[in-house]
Amino acid sequence: MATSSNSSELLRQIETLSGQAVADCYQCGCCTSGCPIGEAMDPPPSKAIRLLQLGKVGELLESGGIWLCASCLVCGTRCPRAVDYARIAEACRVLILRSKQSRVDPDTVTAPELEEIPQQAFIAAFRKSSV
Amino acid sequence: MPNDERRMSEPRTGNPQSTIENRQSKIPRVGVFVCHCGINIAGVVKIPELLERAGIMPGVVVTKDYKYCCSDPGQQMIRDSIKNDKLDRVIVACCSPTLHETTFRNACGEAGLNPYLCEIANIREQCAWVTEDKDAATTKACGIVRTALTKVVEDQPLDAITVPINKRALVIGAGIAGIQSALDIANAGYEVVLVEKEPSIGGHMAQLSETFPTLDCSQCILTPRTVETGRHPKIKLMTYSEIDSVSGYVGNFKVKVRQKARYVDFKTCTGCGVCLEKCPGRTEGRFERGLTKGKAIYRLLPQAVPNKPVIDAEACIYLTKGKCGNCAKVCPTGAIHYDDTDKFVEEEVGAIVLATGYELFDATKLGQYGVGLVPDVIDGLAFERLLSASGPTSGEVKRPSDGKTPKKIVFVQCAGSRDSTVGMPYCSKICCMYTAKQAILYRHRVHDGQATICYIDVRTPGKGFEEFYKRATDDGIQYLRGKVSKIFRQGDKVMVWASDTLAGRKVELEADMVVLATAVIANPDGVGLARKLKTQIDTHGFMTEAHPKLRPVETLTAGFFLAGCGQGPKDIPETVAQASAAAAKLLAMFGNTRLTHSPTTAQVDEEICVGCGYCERTCAYDAVKVDPVKRKAVVNAALCEGCGACAVACPSGAMTHKNATKKAIFEMADSF
Amino acid sequence: MTKYSYYPGCTLYTKARSLDLCARKAAERVGFELVEMPSWNCCGAIYNATSDDLAAQVGPVRNLAKASQMGDKLVTLCAACHNVLKRVQNRLDQPGNEVESERLKTFVDEKFEHPVKVLHYLEVLKNDIGWDAIKAKVIKPLAKLKVASYYGCLMVRPKEVLEFDDPENPQVMDDLMRVLGAEPTRFDFKAECCGGYLVVNRRDVAKSASQKILDNAKAWGAEAIVTTCPLCQYNLDKLRVMTDGALPVFYFTQLLGIAVGLTQDELGLEHNAGDPVGFLKAKCLL
Repeated sequence: MATSSNSSELLRQIETLSGQAVADCYQCGCCTSGCPIGEAMDPPPSKAIRLLQLGKVGELLESGGIWLCASCLVCGTRCPRAVDYARIAEACRVLILRSKQSRVDPDTVTAPELEEIPQQAFIAAFRKSSV
Repeated sequence: MPNDERRMSEPRTGNPQSTIENRQSKIPRVGVFVCHCGINIAGVVKIPELLERAGIMPGVVVTKDYKYCCSDPGQQMIRDSIKNDKLDRVIVACCSPTLHETTFRNACGEAGLNPYLCEIANIREQCAWVTEDKDAATTKACGIVRTALTKVVEDQPLDAITVPINKRALVIGAGIAGIQSALDIANAGYEVVLVEKEPSIGGHMAQLSETFPTLDCSQCILTPRTVETGRHPKIKLMTYSEIDSVSGYVGNFKVKVRQKARYVDFKTCTGCGVCLEKCPGRTEGRFERGLTKGKAIYRLLPQAVPNKPVIDAEACIYLTKGKCGNCAKVCPTGAIHYDDTDKFVEEEVGAIVLATGYELFDATKLGQYGVGLVPDVIDGLAFERLLSASGPTSGEVKRPSDGKTPKKIVFVQCAGSRDSTVGMPYCSKICCMYTAKQAILYRHRVHDGQATICYIDVRTPGKGFEEFYKRATDDGIQYLRGKVSKIFRQGDKVMVWASDTLAGRKVELEADMVVLATAVIANPDGVGLARKLKTQIDTHGFMTEAHPKLRPVETLTAGFFLAGCGQGPKDIPETVAQASAAAAKLLAMFGNTRLTHSPTTAQVDEEICVGCGYCERTCAYDAVKVDPVKRKAVVNAALCEGCGACAVACPSGAMTHKNATKKAIFEMADSF
Repeated sequence: MTKYSYYPGCTLYTKARSLDLCARKAAERVGFELVEMPSWNCCGAIYNATSDDLAAQVGPVRNLAKASQMGDKLVTLCAACHNVLKRVQNRLDQPGNEVESERLKTFVDEKFEHPVKVLHYLEVLKNDIGWDAIKAKVIKPLAKLKVASYYGCLMVRPKEVLEFDDPENPQVMDDLMRVLGAEPTRFDFKAECCGGYLVVNRRDVAKSASQKILDNAKAWGAEAIVTTCPLCQYNLDKLRVMTDGALPVFYFTQLLGIAVGLTQDELGLEHNAGDPVGFLKAKCLL
């Protein structure tokens, strides 16, 4: 559980790992507008950054939204303040993965899926979501 | 310009202010006045120690301190000390000379001491404000006072130079800013040359339908001004003209104006408009923002001032291919002259107002918004033309693609503004208001139309603006907070990816038309002109004012004033206010008989000068020329801004800088 | 004939092998040869952007080191491999990154001779071969086939690193299609994400993202789509997001192959979903 003191420590780690400063964001919402994942991502990028700005790091780390970012980089490319949410989401995921918690279990993949889906998708998916 | 005005080697004598002998005495009597500036200086520099150490410097006969030297009692203290202590040099150790050098020099002048024998030692910005270490600050302050002492002892008494003023003004740009300035100056009784690059005057305001927050018809409030300008006996209106070059200096400018070939004789043309009906040549239609094509022979609008058409030579079939010639055939007065050429006119003026205005950022550069690819995505000025009664659709809101009435319009704010990644980190100021206005006007025309405005913030800082915003929301216009990321096509609809940050989710909107409030940028022609004239522009191309707070209508180049959006985005009330302010400043200048100019200029020792010309090549102000007959450099002291570059460039030492000689500067460096 | 070191990547080497073979044969017709790098390893499929994750960079660094021993260029055919390799090379070259760069290079046995220029097959076609030379090799123009060029997100972003055309409206593949005799349509979703690897655990998300791309291609009147990445091709094609009126999705080298006269067997059409052969025959392209 993230307390307020380790909340600021977590935020510092997120900013270091991602190389982004959440204070740069002026909450215009362009990232949310352009995200191809759309409503399935909760919280969407601008709301996620808002949570970090308000110190609610734990709430973001516990959300499902950060696992749905495919790093397409549209958010960071169109942001008027050049804040790259994809790297922030990656930093959040990495913090969780490094504490030995997987999000996706490779054993859930079925044989037909393994047969059909290009393996580059599996490699990428497990690198991003599993320990 | 009489020749003797240029030869400024000797200072003028007979200044009524110098009642005390201003010879340089062998043993100077210097007074050092230290200002506390509240705690700005006194909080860091140890004043008693500074006074003590200054008191024993050679030549210093009195030291005094005061809390605020710039105040009346402070200045009185200096004036009294000059008289009582018989001072012939003054040093004021205080803030930067850009603030109060004039104050203290005037005080000295009032006490009978030549103002140029007063030097400022900046112990605030250069000392107290850069450290918290009191000992280091005090030592540095002593050093600064010592260098000022070294200089002031070398200083010569100087008299200000005066130049005549040609009380005629030039206004460049005839949008509402230029028009307002020109009228104010002309109504004060002076002649104004008003130069406009378009065939008629009125600028962008002539393209608008109604203005916020009053919903006044733009033409109705503009045309009284344009008509008055057109017939004013003191305004020489030159339309379809551009500035080719400006030389000279404040009070005495020579301007070369290029009057572009119009191919229509203004004296014989009656403005009947028959030629406009028969022309087959087509242009991009800039005035209509590309919604329709224009004709090769055209006037911008039916109420144009002057109401005479011009021919766009590149679009004219006769001028490019030798065929057609319809306009000449139908013209009842024979006013079409295909053999017209550009003409150059020389004007002499004393002051210039720059009112070159704005443009809208080219939205095709925002690829994600699909302008030029997705039909029915247009910018704010184009929508204004749709709303305008004299526009391509006679004021009916229609989709450019198929002419149907749009039932849903999405207005996109901040298209390019507040975005450092496209080079415009600033807010364009007018868009929140004009978008609300456009949405209201759209709903007036299309009663069952729906308008959604996608915004980041709604900025309503003017009189009646917040109430106007409420009027928009009361009318059912939906404000959705979230910057639009993408615009694309779906069937014959336009889709918009926006978001509702207040509810925290992405929103996909379906619309019949999208209007982009694109960023306001400086008119590129104005930027080019500023470069030609060497007036200052900022990184965004907007003209730089002399001081952002206190001198918003002047520039650092004497004689040039600013008005309107060329200086920065602003709405019509602010433009008009600034235009009148620029006129007022200009008229204040014209209220003098002669202009004074600082005498700390360059001077040539003709016995040493060989006419090599390095100084001429170095000068940024065209103030030094080598006389071809005498082969000696000659300084035009009225143009010289005293930067000192020529004195540095001069290889023989013939060029020196008054009251900033090489000797003085080397000694100052040593004395610190 | 110019030879280029070539990095196929895992998917083109196995499941999409037919696309790889088609691409090589088309290359030969156009005037260059792809020579597969010996003992290459997985590139990692996706670039890891975390500032301190060095372990993830080692695989690509080894590939670049091996490539550097063979020449100064490395050609990729898959947008994902291209994205990873080019970004890793850029990371190694960043001023200020020298310590990290040296450390990474010590982790691989192969000596890093010099920086490698990572090129996508499309860049070879445009810059090295040239459109005029390709046009001269076109035997069977593509009969004005209306094609939407889908680049995908990994091909164009991050734009400062990849330097591959305008990310909002890229033109390279459209230009190629024009040269081959097809008619590239306007298309608003050229570089919007198809969902990528999310197809593994969130098929619904990949489907919905891909749906938007296909809808827009249809809105502009496209008859087919071309892609530059086997995963994008899968998401747009085999996921069958549009059961009714689905658009055929080709790999760009397949259309290149048809134009330069490859036989039907050489085109790898068994890889595509639906009935690509029937579609192409109806267009008189087979």
